[in-house]
Amino acid sequence: MRALVIAAALAAAAPAAAGPIDAPGFTKAFSCSACHGRAGATRADAVPSLAGMPAWYLKKAIDDYAAGRRPSPEMEPFSKMVKTLGVDEVAGYFAAQPREASQIKVDRTAVVNGRAASATCAACHGEDGRGDAAKGTPDLTGQPPGYLLNQMKLFKAEKRSPGDATLTSIKVFMKSLDDATLADLAAYYSSLGR
Amino acid sequence: MARMTRRDFLKASGSAAFAVSGLAGCASMGGAPTATTTPSELMPTTGRRVIVVGGGWAGATAAKYVRMEDPSLEVVLIEPNRKFISCPFSNLVLSGVRSIGSLTFGYNGLREQHGVKILHESATAIEPDTRRVRLDRGFLSYERLIVAPGIDFQTEQIEGLAAAGDRVLHAWKAGPQTVALARQLKEMPDGGVFVMSVPPAAYRCPPGPYERACQVAWYLKTRKPRAKLIVLDANQNVISKTALFRAAWQAYPNLEYRASSKVVKVDPEAREVTTEFGDKVRYDVVNVIPPQRAGAIAVQADLVGVDKRWCEVDHVTYESVKAKNVHVIGDSTIGIPVPKSGTIANAMGKIAATAVVNLINGRPAPQMPPANVCYSWVSDSEAMAVVNAYRIDNGKVVQIEQKLTPGQSTLYAQHATAWATSIWADILA
Ligand SMILES: Cc1cc2nc3c(=O)[nH]c(=O)nc-3n(C[C@H](O)[C@H](O)[C@H](O)COP(=O)(O)OP(=O)(O)OC[C@H]3O[C@@H](n4cnc5c(N)ncnc54)[C@H](O)[C@@H]3O)c2cc1C
Ligand code: HEC
Ligand code: HEC
Repeated sequence: MRALVIAAALAAAAPAAAGPIDAPGFTKAFSCSACHGRAGATRADAVPSLAGMPAWYLKKAIDDYAAGRRPSPEMEPFSKMVKTLGVDEVAGYFAAQPREASQIKVDRTAVVNGRAASATCAACHGEDGRGDAAKGTPDLTGQPPGYLLNQMKLFKAEKRSPGDATLTSIKVFMKSLDDATLADLAAYYSSLGR
Repeated sequence: MARMTRRDFLKASGSAAFAVSGLAGCASMGGAPTATTTPSELMPTTGRRVIVVGGGWAGATAAKYVRMEDPSLEVVLIEPNRKFISCPFSNLVLSGVRSIGSLTFGYNGLREQHGVKILHESATAIEPDTRRVRLDRGFLSYERLIVAPGIDFQTEQIEGLAAAGDRVLHAWKAGPQTVALARQLKEMPDGGVFVMSVPPAAYRCPPGPYERACQVAWYLKTRKPRAKLIVLDANQNVISKTALFRAAWQAYPNLEYRASSKVVKVDPEAREVTTEFGDKVRYDVVNVIPPQRAGAIAVQADLVGVDKRWCEVDHVTYESVKAKNVHVIGDSTIGIPVPKSGTIANAMGKIAATAVVNLINGRPAPQMPPANVCYSWVSDSEAMAVVNAYRIDNGKVVQIEQKLTPGQSTLYAQHATAWATSIWADILA
């Protein structure tokens, strides 16, 4: 009968149809949770959180995927879909969700080492790692460590946005770091905001 | 049919109500058991009720999202199994890469986080005219019904299959059969022959049999190097990710693939299957994946089309073209250009939930296209994927694009794991 008590409590607390259906953009963003977690707050390691992502960055990512500039066999079709549905509403939906830091465990030593290696990153991503719209840099804090590491490796291998001249300096920089240091940096940025 | 017999017996003997005393859940809500021959409304409701039949990928999602979107609605989920066992990733149980436990989840999240009422029973009939769902011990009334019973097997299509019972396994509904088939594979002697059959399309999970072939071949290659796998496919070619699977199989010289080899007979005494062209293939372990149709309850309720196999629905609301206020989702459906996949079932669950909530509240249902991804594991560590995006055009779902991963990789295996983690939570948490 516990379920019934809870059901009754829920019914009493919430007015009719006050769920995600009324959140602007839900009917266009509902399919994303299959990979990115409820309302974009991921529980997984290899996909990014979208919850609380600034709209400008989400829109740039969707544009880059849809145009094939940022190759991803998964995100290219979905980005084309988002564009037919209306990217502004999708971006607005995720920007309005509370950002939740990843729960994936990170190693304390790795975090310490990552912090030590992060000085150059801070120049673009900010001292706090939260990114900067003016510089075009995303918020790295609280993203899952696996996702951050994969993206750095993709930069390093010239597989993320290959040939994009605006990103040359960051790729050069990633190439100068070994994978162990990249993993430390991923652990560090993931640990911020927890 | 044992269930029908039992119900008929109970009805005839006028003791249906007694049969339920001792059942947990909301059994007592139908009032005190009375020895009447007319089964009664089991759970009288004053509010507006949505019933969901089937708590798999589609139905559990729908139940959760109806409650999330409109907590004033009562949702009753009817599902005989007490545990949800994921078909996706269950091929990895055959190769020993995953345990069945890692794919098994409870329904507490739906109950406690979302206030879904769950009856662990089977629906025995659907009556759209009176808006009732029947169970063994009575009926429940609904305002709208969501039917998500998955698939059932056309066992009669293969001679000897029904009589073979547990000696010939399908393992196409994750659970005890998956574990039993894994054991048979493990116990098969090195040098043995594992035969599996692929049914004619349409069936649940187009790439699934080929993923299974990879897992069995990988296992044999690493554990029983002299054993071999023969895949007998009813179709003319690999029907999903064709080039990718063909490339992946280069690593498995122990895998023999035979197209256009529909299995029509199985003989567990002789340990032999026969194809429609009369070829006989001997096996040490066999896995027959039979032809399929919509879950029995959908067939029985005549929600299926002239083929008597699958249910046609509206592409926006998922309302059955054959019955008002009855929505069908998941593998039971046909006609929407989407595969029978868990990702699609989950998407349909959300779309139908949103449609139902809007329609009950007197609003039009929004147009929500589904999205699909199917990852396939080709070894213990590498996966690949097919991705489909859709839009809605004049009330019909049409594909925008299908894309394949350029090959297999450990990165896509990571993405596959991320997908599973996320979608299991999207369904049940
Ligand atoms: C080996 C294998 C691998 C797969 N891999 C993938 C994959 O990687 N990705 C992917 O997207 N999909 C995959 N699939 C497909 C996926 O499992 C199905 O598409 C999905 O389960 C369909 O969801 P459903 O809700 O329609 O059916 P189900 O999940 O089967 O749920 C149906 C439920 O209805 C219940 N039911 C039936 N009759 C009644 C009744 N009369 N009363 C009450 N309840 C009833 C059943 O007990 C069951 O729980 C795979 C399938 C298999 C077999
Ligand atoms: C099949 C799983 C899947 C689904 C469904 C999915 N994504 Fe993704 N998404 C991914 C993966 C994997 C990545 C990382 C790809 C890469 O390497 O660039 C990603 C990356 C992204 C990024 C880049 C974020 C960043 O920090 O750069 C955005 C934005 C995004 N997805 C938005 C969406 C939206 C919006 C939807 C729903 C319309 C969606 N995704 C649906 C798997 C998915
Ligand atoms: C010259 C400026 C610059 C420097 C220095 C720099 N970055 Fe970036 N970084 C960027 C920009 C710009 C992007 C966004 C690229 C895009 O739009 O696709 C980015 C993206 C990323 C991403 C992908 C995030 C996501 O959500 O997908 C990661 C991870 C990252 N940077 C980590 C680092 C780390 C760690 C360092 C230090 C080792 C670093 N960056 C140094 C400019 C910089």
